Formats: sequence, C-alpha cells, structure tokens
Amino acid sequence: MFSELAELFKYRDLLIQLVARDLKVRYKNSVLGFFWSLINPLVQVATITIVFKYVMPIGIPNYSAYLLVAYLPWMFFQMSLLDASQSVLSHYDLLKKVYFPREVLPLSMVIANMIHFLLAIVVFFVYLLVIGAPIVSTWWLLPVLVIIEFLLVTGLAFIVSALNVFYADIKYIVSVLLNIFFYLTPIIYMSEMVYTRLQAMGYGALYTLYQLSPLNAIVMAFREALLPPYGVPPGKTMPFAFHDMPLDYRFLAIAAAVSIIVFIAGYSFFNSRKWSFAEQL
Amino acid sequence: MQSAIELQGLKKSFRLVHGQAGSIKALLLSFKRRKPEELMALKGVDLSIAKGETLAVIGRNGSGKSTMLGIVGRIYKPTSGKVIVHGRVSALLELGAGFHPELTGIENIYLNGAILGIKTRDMKSKVDEIVRFAELEKFIDTPIKGYSKGMVMRLGFAIAVQVDPDILLVDEVLAVGDEAFQAKCYEKISEFQRLGKTIVFVSHDLPAVRRVASRVVWLDKGVIRMDGPTGQVVDAYMAGVAADEQH
Repeated sequence: MFSELAELFKYRDLLIQLVARDLKVRYKNSVLGFFWSLINPLVQVATITIVFKYVMPIGIPNYSAYLLVAYLPWMFFQMSLLDASQSVLSHYDLLKKVYFPREVLPLSMVIANMIHFLLAIVVFFVYLLVIGAPIVSTWWLLPVLVIIEFLLVTGLAFIVSALNVFYADIKYIVSVLLNIFFYLTPIIYMSEMVYTRLQAMGYGALYTLYQLSPLNAIVMAFREALLPPYGVPPGKTMPFAFHDMPLDYRFLAIAAAVSIIVFIAGYSFFNSRKWSFAEQL
Repeated sequence: MQSAIELQGLKKSFRLVHGQAGSIKALLLSFKRRKPEELMALKGVDLSIAKGETLAVIGRNGSGKSTMLGIVGRIYKPTSGKVIVHGRVSALLELGAGFHPELTGIENIYLNGAILGIKTRDMKSKVDEIVRFAELEKFIDTPIKGYSKGMVMRLGFAIAVQVDPDILLVDEVLAVGDEAFQAKCYEKISEFQRLGKTIVFVSHDLPAVRRVASRVVWLDKGVIRMDGPTGQVVDAYMAGVAADEQH
C-alpha cells in the first residue's frame, strides 16, 4: 500500500486539477454558482426545522443549530458516496487510454465535497455568531472530526467506486442505503432520545451498539463538540423526557480506529481491482 | 545497443462477459455457469525495441496491436510474461480523451497535462507553446464544447507532445487535422526521432508507416507473423491481406 501511496503522491497535481475541475464545472452555468452548495442544506434544514418546531415539536431551543451541525457532516458523507460511486465509470474513456493512479478519481470527489463541507462549516460558525450562541471550548476537535470522517468516507468511496464498475446496481444500492441511514443516524433527532427509549424498553445495552457505528459516533461528536448542551423545557412537548449527554471520547476513539481500518481495507480493495477496470468491456 | 522496451513471452487474455454484464444478477447467475470465456489477445510476444528506434505495429483488427501498446503504456497488466521499460513513457492515444467540454482551452491544458503526469508548475512554461502549436490563440479562453473536432485534436496533440517522454506510444492519431497540421505532426515526429526518442506506433495507414517507421512488426491473431525492415514487412502484409481477401 505504501508504494501505491507514493505513486499517488507523485500524481498530486492531477488530484488538485481534478478537484479544481469538479468545483469549477459543478456550478459553471448557474447564476448563483457556489451558493447552491449552501442553499441546498439551508433549505433542507429550514424545512425540517419548521416540521420539528411546529408540526411535531421536539422542544429543543435553537433546534435548527443542532440539526445543522449534524446535517452538514451527513451531507458530506452522502454527496461524497453518491459522486464517488460514479467516478470511475464516468471516466471510462480515460481509463482505457492513459495510465494514472486510478484512485485519484474517487478521491477527488471526496475532497471536492470536503471543501464544500468546510465552507459550509464556516457559514455555520457565522450563523452561531448571528444567533448569539456561545462558541464552546471543544471546537478545536473540529479538524479531528473532519479527518476521521474523511477516512471513513474515503474508504467507503473506494469500495463503492470499484464495485460500481463491475455491478451497475451498486449506485442504486448506495442510494437506498443512504436513505435508510439518514434516519438511523441521529440527525433530525437527538441520540439521547434513542438512549432514553431503549432504556425504557429494557434494551439499554443496544445503545452501546448504536454508538459503535462510526457514522453515529462522528455525527454525535460534531453535535457535542461544536454546540453547548441543549436545554429541554421540562414536560413541554415530547411524551418522554431526555437530556443532553456529554461527548463520550471512548466511542469517538473507536470510531477513529474503525475509520482507519475502513480506509485501509477500502484502499486495498480498490488497489486489488483497479487494473481490471480498463478490461471490463 | 541498449533496448528501450523488452517484451518477453507476453500473454494477455481478456474475459468475455456474455449477456447481462455488470449487474448483480449476472454475478448470481455466474455461480451456476461455467467459467467465462477467455479471449487470448496476445499469445506470447517476444520483442526488443532499441533506444531511438521508430517501430510501427501493423495487423488486422483484433490482432492485438492496441493491447500490446496498452500493456507497454501500463493500462493493462499482462496475464503472463514480462515487460521491461527503460525511460518515461507517454501515450498519444486518441487525443483529447481527458478533456472536459465545459472547461476552457487553458483549463483543459492544465488538466490534460496533469493526466499525462506533468506537474502544474512545469505546465505553466509550456502553455504558450501549446496554444501556438495548436493554432488556437483566439479560442483558448472559451469552453472547448464550442471547438470543432479538428481543434480538439490539435489541442490534444499539442499537449501530448509537450510531455517530453523517452518513449512515445502513438495509436492511430497521425491522421489528425488538415494537411498543414499533419505536416506539423510529422515534423514533430521527426524532431523526436532526431532527439533519439523511441517511438512505437500502431496504424492502419500504411503510407504513414512507410514514411515514419524504420522497422515494422506484423501482428496476426496475437503472435508476431513478421518482424523486419519497413519495406519488406509492409509489402508482405499487403500481399497477405490481398491473399486473404481472395479466399
């Protein structure tokens, strides 16, 4: 794997060019250009906020901030995998004609989406200042969380992009799984609600399993690290009481370890397949 | 004489996928079926190409010419046998494969250069020369989706020859553009020859082969049928093709 990484490093200018191309082309002929990548999550978050404030009140002050802080990393996860799943197949012409390290294709998609994500995070901090929310002391965890998520996403991107060359069904499977995981991950609701319900049903141990999922642990960490504990007005809206629980560093460490393993496994899998891409007639 | 490329017992087979290729259904069905059919594109090729030599590979469609070039250019891994390459290889395979229609000529120059392995830093000093060679000064800041086919090919060729390789692989691209541009292409090829670079090219264009190559290899169904000086091999090939057509 190290020789593959060294070769990839030699082609770093290609990676940069591909990322630049993706950023340029994506919004090339649209008037609002880059702002579309902000408008999309903001409109989603505004819609969900209206539902969870007025239709099914969740009772958390500043709910939109707690939603946005989880929704942005989710967007990064989802968009990267959707873009990456097509990345190798859409460069088929090129693969059959020129040598270059094939992994630049999915990797450039993940990096382009990460740049969108980081810019959105900047906007998120501006939004916090505007609504007057305090900046919590654990904000320095942000780069750590981004790196962990990057490793997880890249590992998965390698796997889906390689598989999609051989099985065209993969992109549909990925999009179905993403739909399911949007609801399984604590994005629109709080992880503590899952904890409280599992406790009440006598399956408290299952919550450990829930936290073992690296995606859950990462999203929970974003929320706990970047925002103060939310206050729930007592007995207000939800049929059961729940309260904020602090960031559990043990599960974050496990998520980091799992993400590294996923990255290595994904990259190895991609490398084992990448020279047969061009032969898949 | 030192060799630039050594092929030893080179074999390459491709798997032929029948019917529903590329779906989960095919995967599930394939458990029940016999092994997929194999197509032997190269059946043991031994070839040594000297440094500075210009070698043309001719043969009918499906003879394995492009596969051989693809293996030297690291697009395919050989099934068995050895490939030894001394020097930096660049492929001039179907020009403009990496172009993006929405990007301008300049943007595509940087992108295509990077695909061919040129550093962005080195590319900066070559841009003017590329634009001049491609004769696209007026259009270089417009998206290439507005270019004609000839303009795209000229730009592709202009970039590819800037890679400055030790070994240049050319697949059927010398018939690019109008007469004047073709003359420039041939001029560039002979400049490469003067500089002592190795050129391997695949072509059906026999006059071009006679004009450029010093040695010709005739591939037939994955094996070398003849290898020798240009005139002899091309004559034999033409006679062979004519004989095949009479049958």
